[in-house]
Amino acid sequence: MKYMASLETFKSLSPAEFFYRNREIAGFSNPSRALYQAVRELVENALDATETHGILPIIRVYIDRTSNPMHYVVSVEDNGIGVPPQFVPKAFGQVLFSSKYKLRQTRGMFGLGAKMAILYGQLTTGRPVEIITSPVKSKRVYFFKLMIDIKNNRPIVLEKASWSKKKEWHGTIVTIALEGDWGRAKSRIIEYIKRVALVTPYAEILFKGPDNSYFYYPRVTTKLPRPPREVLPHPYGVDLEAFKMLIASTQESRLEDFLVKSFQGVGKRTAQDLLRKIGLPLDKSPKKLSLDEIKVLVEEMKKYERFKPPRADPLSPIGAELIVLGLKQILQPEFVTAITRKPAVYEGHPFIVEVGLAYGGAIESSNEPILYRYANKIPLLYDEKSDVLWKIVNELDWRQYNVSFPAPLAVLIHICSTKIPYKGVGKESIADVPEIEREVRNALREVARKLRSYIQKKQKVEETYRKLTTFVKYLPEVALSLEILSINPETKEKHVDREQLIDKLLKVLSKKISEVKVSRDLINKVIVSIE
Amino acid sequence: MLSTADLRARKRALKIFWDKFNKLIESIINEEEPLLEIPKRTLANTVYDESRKLLLLGTQKLTRRMFDAHEARKFMQTLLMARIIYEALLNDEYPTIRDLYYRGKHTIVYRDHKGRIREENTWDEQKESDSVIRDLEVLLGLLREEMLILSKEKGKVVGYMRIKSGDDVIDLSKMGHGAYAIESTPDLIEFLDVDAEYVLVIEKDAVFQQLHRIGYWKKHKVILVTSAGQPDRATRRFVRRLNEELKLPVYILTDADPYGWYIYSVFKIGSITLSYESERLATPSARFIGVSMTDIFGDPQKGKKPYLTEKERKHYIIKAKPADIKRAKEIINYKWFQTKQWIKEINLFLSKKAKLEIEALASKGLRFLADKYIPEKIAIKDWIE
Repeated sequence: MKYMASLETFKSLSPAEFFYRNREIAGFSNPSRALYQAVRELVENALDATETHGILPIIRVYIDRTSNPMHYVVSVEDNGIGVPPQFVPKAFGQVLFSSKYKLRQTRGMFGLGAKMAILYGQLTTGRPVEIITSPVKSKRVYFFKLMIDIKNNRPIVLEKASWSKKKEWHGTIVTIALEGDWGRAKSRIIEYIKRVALVTPYAEILFKGPDNSYFYYPRVTTKLPRPPREVLPHPYGVDLEAFKMLIASTQESRLEDFLVKSFQGVGKRTAQDLLRKIGLPLDKSPKKLSLDEIKVLVEEMKKYERFKPPRADPLSPIGAELIVLGLKQILQPEFVTAITRKPAVYEGHPFIVEVGLAYGGAIESSNEPILYRYANKIPLLYDEKSDVLWKIVNELDWRQYNVSFPAPLAVLIHICSTKIPYKGVGKESIADVPEIEREVRNALREVARKLRSYIQKKQKVEETYRKLTTFVKYLPEVALSLEILSINPETKEKHVDREQLIDKLLKVLSKKISEVKVSRDLINKVIVSIE
Repeated sequence: MLSTADLRARKRALKIFWDKFNKLIESIINEEEPLLEIPKRTLANTVYDESRKLLLLGTQKLTRRMFDAHEARKFMQTLLMARIIYEALLNDEYPTIRDLYYRGKHTIVYRDHKGRIREENTWDEQKESDSVIRDLEVLLGLLREEMLILSKEKGKVVGYMRIKSGDDVIDLSKMGHGAYAIESTPDLIEFLDVDAEYVLVIEKDAVFQQLHRIGYWKKHKVILVTSAGQPDRATRRFVRRLNEELKLPVYILTDADPYGWYIYSVFKIGSITLSYESERLATPSARFIGVSMTDIFGDPQKGKKPYLTEKERKHYIIKAKPADIKRAKEIINYKWFQTKQWIKEINLFLSKKAKLEIEALASKGLRFLADKYIPEKIAIKDWIE
């Protein structure tokens, strides 16, 4: 929403020009960061084109070198819904045209990021973006070469072609040439892909880097998270500019009807009550509201207490089940658990907190928990230490949960919301919001408690085995001794043999230790030799 | 060929082992938890029996369970030791405690609960195996000598006496300048005949030799014994048998210091570490003939004159060290030293801080020791009970 407000002040600039001038905000501050950002924007678009529409994603990411050592070609392919050919030029060549301008949780709010990558590529290499797309049910595949006319914010179509489909395919392939720095960006990009795969176990993801680095994450489930549903904005979460846009697009002629139809949580009686309180006529045309009246209305709406709380329908949590699957697949821990909290609200914005926890196995021990942060399923890689999530995870007294560091512990936290409260313009860390902090803390405690009972149980079993070993290692010695002591001094005959005694002793032992199975092969497992 | 006494002892020990451990085997066959109830060998379970004047083992028992994490190793060691001793008994062998340590010491290589390969010795030091032997002695009520386990022989004896050891008859008055070494298994000795008035036990081997060479035992009809320091079990058992079976009074001559007193008390009432053997090893009627503090300093209350002159005292007395003082203070607290005479002795020691070796009296003159000091003290009954 910040951008929208700023745009007002820069009306003389075309949006494309504005975004280019402020490219740091969008994450294109240097070649290394730009390469990472381009991959990220295209991958997130690809995921939005698939899973949001109920399609199990297949995503392929290629980064190739060009003849210019500073330039790279990034190509991302998805099996999504595709883009109808008539929308392609605007969707890729005009800033602010986007299918995402609706109130629901998607990865990039306005689809600006991908266009920023195209813009950046065009300006650093002078090369156009290439798009191959085929919508679902279309019989043809469409090809475009586009550039953006920055001054006028208009797409320039350089080439265009289409052919009939030879095999059943739908989706989009976007290829951008841009200035980048693979050497510096490599580890971040690889980590990014891994973290995406971690929360999308239903996706098949392939990554190939310019140095032939290769990562393949197969699909491990066909279960998709619940897609977000579009909802009307909640009165608590709407600012002045958004309100103006709602007025601009409404068909209603009465203020009362406008409120009921444009917002969620507002019924006829509530709308009447609110308007009477402010002293605005119920039947005034919303288009005729003065700026002052709008200001009063927006302010009063924020204070009004009788709206229904915001609905969580527009949110798309990953779900505990998928988080568990993802953590299992990527980290191969010995213990994993996850929780999705009930929806909550801050400042009129619904949000859901999800926390996953993985322990042991292939996870390496470290002095603090390894933290995987996600906002609306986007992995956050930078600015970890300034993130409130980092603070919460490290403030927890892990010893209370039988974890003492260094420990092999990984924590995944996902915040999904119609508005993520980022700290700063980098959008890489979550700001301190008391409602979110509380939810995260509670979720973390809940999974930590599960970890504690796992560790306790494990310790108990280990303790049992330790005890068992103590007994079993002496068993052959004791049995042999008793066999000899059973020799009748008169007849010199043995009364028992050691094998019989071992069997009996194991029987007695199994009565005493019920936690684990005591069987004959335990002797061979424990005793290596007696010398 | 084994002697009949040996064979008899072997048979008896085997039977006791067999009875005890077959009960354990039976309980295992019945799938009961394997355990051994062993009398505790701790100071807390050491009781001084006032009427019998013996240090005895109390009634407390410990239960050694095979399937108790703290007892499992000890349980294994106890059975391992029982088996090696039993084998030795069956095979007509005479192991020493050192042999038993080596025979039982081997390495168990096992995998621990985390799968790591570990090694553990059945026992590491002889201290461990010795301790298990003691446990078996109290468990079975059988002294190690009765299990035909040998130990170093320290005690010696001479006198008008004939004994049968193994199948040989030995005349203890015909040992030349030497003496008969009291065997590890004194219970296998058979007393044939004796001509003696009393038994004199001397702490110091050197003094024993001196008295032997001048024929003290011939003149006074004495069975002369030395323990050569702290008495071993065989010497104690031998002295006990002389007293019990031959009704000979026993006099004990030691240095005048806390260690001498303790040697006397070990002969008389038993030792703390081996209290379980007292019943068979102690000689409750043994008398402390000297050297007493009043022998050195006199006893004005009783009108007793000292055996040493002022000048001799100056010569022979050794100044007590802090360790001696400390030991004396411990001993004065033992119940069995809390008699009027002993308290007087110990207090005299603590106030004079002086000790004296028997050799000092011999230096004054061997004749003085042999012809005056000892016979006179016995004649006038100047001993401590």
